[in-house]
This record gives sequence, structure tokens and C-alpha cells, in this order.
Amino acid sequence: MIDLRNADTSFKWEIIKQEGGEGLLKCFGCSDCSASCPVRYLDERYNPRKIIRLTLLGMKNEVLSSPFLWLCAHCHACTERCPQGIHVAEVINAIKNYAVKQGYCPEGLKVQLNLLNNSGRLYELEDFDLKKRQRMGLPELAKKISDVSKIFALTRIFERIPK
Amino acid sequence: MKKYALFLGCTVPVRAQHYELATRNVAKELGIEFIDLKEGSCCGFPLKALDAETSLLMAARNVGLASNLGLDVVTLCNSCTAMLSDAQSKLKEEKFRRKFTELGFTYPNEIKVRHFVRMLYEDIGIENLKKVIKRPLKNLRILSHYGCHYLRPSYLHTFDNVENPHTLDELVGLTGVISVDYQEKKLCCGGSVLGVDEELALKMANQKLSVAKNNNADAMISICPFCTVMYEDNQRKVEAKFNTVFNLPVLYYPQLLGLGLGLAPDACGLKFNRIKPDGIISKL
Repeated sequence: MIDLRNADTSFKWEIIKQEGGEGLLKCFGCSDCSASCPVRYLDERYNPRKIIRLTLLGMKNEVLSSPFLWLCAHCHACTERCPQGIHVAEVINAIKNYAVKQGYCPEGLKVQLNLLNNSGRLYELEDFDLKKRQRMGLPELAKKISDVSKIFALTRIFERIPK
Repeated sequence: MKKYALFLGCTVPVRAQHYELATRNVAKELGIEFIDLKEGSCCGFPLKALDAETSLLMAARNVGLASNLGLDVVTLCNSCTAMLSDAQSKLKEEKFRRKFTELGFTYPNEIKVRHFVRMLYEDIGIENLKKVIKRPLKNLRILSHYGCHYLRPSYLHTFDNVENPHTLDELVGLTGVISVDYQEKKLCCGGSVLGVDEELALKMANQKLSVAKNNNADAMISICPFCTVMYEDNQRKVEAKFNTVFNLPVLYYPQLLGLGLGLAPDACGLKFNRIKPDGIISKL
């Protein structure tokens, strides 16, 4: 049950400031995104139209604390079908980015961030892999890409991740 | 000789070396030269949900590495392709460009970002590829899986027909196999939600594996290492969960093309496939 007395009307304005969130206000609620969504087809818990609608209404806590937000596979089927030309998957991603800033960050993402900070790639090239590559005649690659940590420092990404 | 910068990303050099091997051997056969981006990092996609700007800066740095060589970049993973393409369009924005430059990165030349398969389609072309097929692969039914980010979002890729794609079917078909026509071409493998909800991801993988089975496919063709993680690496898990048997080989497109070009199965890395494609090798 949605109680508009709990609405935070500033919520939508915060989302449109996030990278990719610009299109949010153009939504007129037709639900083409949900109809095109392969996740929605298999799992009713995920509903992009509902997430966008709740965001426009200002139901900040409902949206940000919902584990279903993270079920978007970012496949962009919705984006292709939106009659308003909204990059729907990007809007959902903008809401995820904002959720992270508000302290909601799935554990898996934190793990990936740390892995990337350590070596610059999700899978570190360990000695076993390097030897296998050599045996297969595949070229050498840098083991660690330190520029990635430089990027993390500039965007201060670790400051917004709850410990 | 055509020359490109090769961007491998995270998964290919560690978990899909057979894809890389087949790609390099096919390229050699077709007179394509690769310059490796040895300092290439993760494309940035895994961090997009956490912070889009950070992921775009990572992608832009990789685009910059190729741009500094003055070469168009070729990728092997769908999500890397979309991420690098996104960064490239972002580099046109003043504010983003400033941060990029502040990090000491440069982007001197406008370059193209394309998946290897798209590059084959556009720069070599179907007719030219048909001419170099030495060993047509007969009596095989092959199901092409496009994956999401090869074509979507279409505002980044502007290639093929996003609602009814055909380029991979054409590329598969030219090797002599029957490219199975089917309705569910656009289905997502579920890879992006694997870390969040494994059950849902396996359900998504099961959907397309079932389509392949119902169409009596001898193998599925993938062009993305993450789709292969879902359809091949996790196939036994899907079988156990949904009480079914697929035993469906999943080949990367360059592996199939390599066989058509007359390369030995080993040169196509087929012994590294987890679901053994013996049925295909025996028909060579």
C-alpha cells in the first residue's frame, strides 16, 4: 500500500541528476518496459514500470531498500521499446547508483570493486593462467593495471561504499 | 593487411583462452593483424551499477589506449563492446572529457569500437568469407545466440536489426551449417543477475537452452564470454535444477568459422570446451 504522506518529492530530482537518469520525467507509465522485460517474464518481483512510478511519486525508501531493484539484467530490451525514447535501463541504473550513495550496496558489488582496485581486472592473471597462456601461445598481458586505482581515487568511489 | 587494436577485457584472457586462441588463428587466416592492448583493464561494466561515471572512465581509458595507436578497437565480449562504445560517445562531452584528461589519459584520434564479429561482417564481408571456406560443415543444426549488448542499446551500436537480428545467422550460415531460425533470438542469458539471484539467472539460461533443445540444435554459438558462462559453464547446474538433459556444446563463433576455414580442432581450442563438441568434430 502506497501512502503518499511518506513521499519525498525531492527524490525524482535527485535521480535525474545521476548519470543516465535524465529521461525519468518523460515516463507516462505505459508499461512497455515491463512487457518487454525478460526478467519480469520469469519473476514477477521485478517490475521496471513500478520502480519508475514509485520513483516519480517520491517513494524513496520503498525503491531504495527493495532488493528487486538489483534484478535488472541491464539487457536494454526496455530501452528499445520505450515510446518516449527513455533509456529505461540507464534510468534503473541511475537509481542503483543513487541507492549506493544512500548506503544500499549489494555485497557482490563491493567484492568486485576491491578486485578491480587490486589488479584492474575482475580475474587476476595468476601464475597458473600466465603459464597456460604461454603454453597456448597467447601473448603476455600486464598483471596489474594501476590506472584503475587512480580513477577510483578521482571519483572517490570508496568514500560512498558503506564498510 | 587489416590492423586493429585487440581489447580482451577480464573474462577472455583468464576463463576463455580457447575463444582468444580461435580468434587469433582465424584472424591470421584472414590476413587480420592485431596489436594487443596489454595495459587494457576491465571495461568498467561490472561497476556500472555502483557508479556509472567510474565505469565510463575505465572504459574511456581503454578506448584511449587504442586511440593512441590510431587503431580501431576490436572486442570479444558484448558488454565490453557496449561499455567502450558508451565511453566513446561520452568523450564528446566537455565535462567528462575534462575528468578524463585530468587523469592523464588522451584520446587523440576518433576510432571505431566494434565486436570482432561485427568487424568480420562489415570489413571482410559475407561474400569474401564464403570464398575462403575450405571445409563446409554439413548436416549440423546451429543456434546463434546474439546476447544483449552486441546490438543493444541500438543508440550506441546502430548496426543490424535490433528487433530481428540477422548478422550472426548469416555468419554462421556461411560455414555450411543450417542456421536455425527461431523466435527467441533476443533472450538474455541472465549473466548480469548471476551474482544477485542465482536461481533467476539459471531460469533465464534454462529458457534458451530449452529453445535450442526443442529446435534439435547440435550446438549453440556464442559471441560473449559471459553468455558462455551461463550456457556452458552452468549447463550442468541448469540440468540438475530443472531435471533435464541438454548436453549441448556451446562454441564461440571464431571456433566454428575456424573449422570452416580448414583449421584443426586444436587450433580452434575445441579441446577446452567444457561440453565436448565431439558430435561436431566427428562430422568434419
